[in-house]
Amino acid sequence: MSPFRILLHKELLDVVRDRRTLLMNLGLPVVLYPLLFLSMGIMVVAGTERLKNTELVVGTVGPEAVELIKLRPTPPKTTYKAYSLEEATAELALQTLAAVVTAPEGARDAIAEGKQAVVTVMYAKRFDKSREALDRLRPVLESVNVQMLQKRLEEKSLDPSFILPMKTDPVDVDLKDGLGRLMAASLLPMLLLTTLLTGAVQAAVDTTAGEKERGTFETLLVAPVRPTQVMLAKYATVTIVAIATALANLAATGLTFGFGVMIAGKAVIPVQFSAGQIALMVLCMVPTATLVSGLALALASTAQTQRQGQSLMVPVLLMGMAPAMVAQMPGIELNWVTALIPVLNVALLVKATILDTVSVLEVGLTLVSVLTCSVLAFQAAALTFNSETFRFGGTLSSGRLSGWWRRR
Amino acid sequence: MKPAIEVHQISRRFGDLLAVDQVSFSVKPGEVVGLLGPNGAGKTTALRVLAGLLTPSAGHAKINDISVEDRPTEARMHLGFLTSSTGLYERMTGREQLEIFGELHEMQGAALKRRIDEVIDELELGSFIDRRCGALSSGQKQRVSIGRAVVHDPLAYVLDEPTSTLDPVAAQDILELVRRAQARGKAVLFSTHRLDEAETLCDRIVVIRKGRVVAEGTPMQVKAEHPSLTAAFLKLVSLERVA
Repeated sequence: MSPFRILLHKELLDVVRDRRTLLMNLGLPVVLYPLLFLSMGIMVVAGTERLKNTELVVGTVGPEAVELIKLRPTPPKTTYKAYSLEEATAELALQTLAAVVTAPEGARDAIAEGKQAVVTVMYAKRFDKSREALDRLRPVLESVNVQMLQKRLEEKSLDPSFILPMKTDPVDVDLKDGLGRLMAASLLPMLLLTTLLTGAVQAAVDTTAGEKERGTFETLLVAPVRPTQVMLAKYATVTIVAIATALANLAATGLTFGFGVMIAGKAVIPVQFSAGQIALMVLCMVPTATLVSGLALALASTAQTQRQGQSLMVPVLLMGMAPAMVAQMPGIELNWVTALIPVLNVALLVKATILDTVSVLEVGLTLVSVLTCSVLAFQAAALTFNSETFRFGGTLSSGRLSGWWRRR
Repeated sequence: MKPAIEVHQISRRFGDLLAVDQVSFSVKPGEVVGLLGPNGAGKTTALRVLAGLLTPSAGHAKINDISVEDRPTEARMHLGFLTSSTGLYERMTGREQLEIFGELHEMQGAALKRRIDEVIDELELGSFIDRRCGALSSGQKQRVSIGRAVVHDPLAYVLDEPTSTLDPVAAQDILELVRRAQARGKAVLFSTHRLDEAETLCDRIVVIRKGRVVAEGTPMQVKAEHPSLTAAFLKLVSLERVA
């Protein structure tokens, strides 16, 4: 067996035996994501139902406000109570009133004369009860409005279409799972990149700084193997762990979306990914994993302890997560320019894949860009790994880095 | 007889610090040489240069007449190196580590299995060889660690403070192992802080201070007119070369 295969076997055995990391990276997402989405859905539905069944008191200011809203039946679990404007405002601030309806003096006469009366609904947006009161009052007031309008049109012998010469009728011809797909497109890129990064970072720190701290690194290097062979085995291991972590998360998320997502506490919208879409997402995860692994390994190799290694990984995590967040913003799409920006291009490619808007050119540009950066990251990892300064010296510092660079 | 371990005029500089300065010594097959010196004297750096882990700034090292600098992997095939920490993978069993390090030394199949059985017998690892190393005692770990270092039956042993973390009983067992290796014609370079061990075990002693060899000879020669090796050592590490 070649030294690389022996070393890779050793690295993987060591990783597989680390049950805590395995559980966190692979086991937890499979259980956590479906549970998380399910519990979120249940909580949203329960919260909405609870609000609908809450008794609300709505204040009315002025006799004409009462007259107007009493033209239609009072919504369930709602009570109207008359107040002065000052009292109502104070009660609204205390939330003993959920909302306040005011109508100016002469409003009824103005409506009767064919003029317009302004009815105000005062509410406080930050309170759930207040928003719920507005939701209950809005159909009542619209219904009153329609009732009065119909009366006016009848008096003038006009058809209802007279005041609505053109009616807009939006018809959504998109896929039935369009909304769920949109949700997946905004969540998945971030999720995949984050898990890919955390998987790579954990493994890189454990196999380099962790080994130095545990004293096994020197043991390994006194075996008849070249440092490059040791590095290659570690690089392959970190890449495999990163891909496995991302795939476990992709599977868990795919399963969750496949069963359906509760949106706004109402709709259950299942999203089905085609084999092609899954293949493309996996395809772009592989070079991304090699890029991230190279970077993580290059930095982690300069650390002497796990703690130092974890500190050094913060910029790597930020560098990966920031583009993923940018990709979530509306209007940021994959094109020939964004396809050349590493990591952002991967996030956008995943987004475009889910939304079925991806093109072959963009896939090609993304892969070329990420693979080029992967080669550079690999070289950086090889450089630091082969450096005696970082192998047995202190941790990364600007002075040490410049000294190391001068000696090269 | 050609030396199995040969260090010739090696120096190693870290920036402005000269950690090892023109150090020379050799170990012949069947000989045990003790490398003594206070903390920070340059012992570990010298051993790392010998193992090819660090490139010397000057000089050269050979193992079994193979240049460590020119052919490091080939030279390491003849070297059994025990680092100052046990250096064991705690999530693996002792047997798994013997197998992996045996394979890295190009051993395989029945020959590797036979050699692992020999090491298990010789070091009395049988009762814990299939347990994960994280669950072993310090003495058991050190035994497995020595087994890992010598699984390929090298000619040259380099043991960096092998008894420093052990109780007297476990330390005595390790010293017995060194004696048996010596009897089998192995060259043993033994770094230690325990002067009593060095006095009873070593054929020769090399004392290092501030990166330089300040004394070399048999324990009796180094001790010279001093009442004990400890007294001689204390004087040596505070004065210039005397022997």
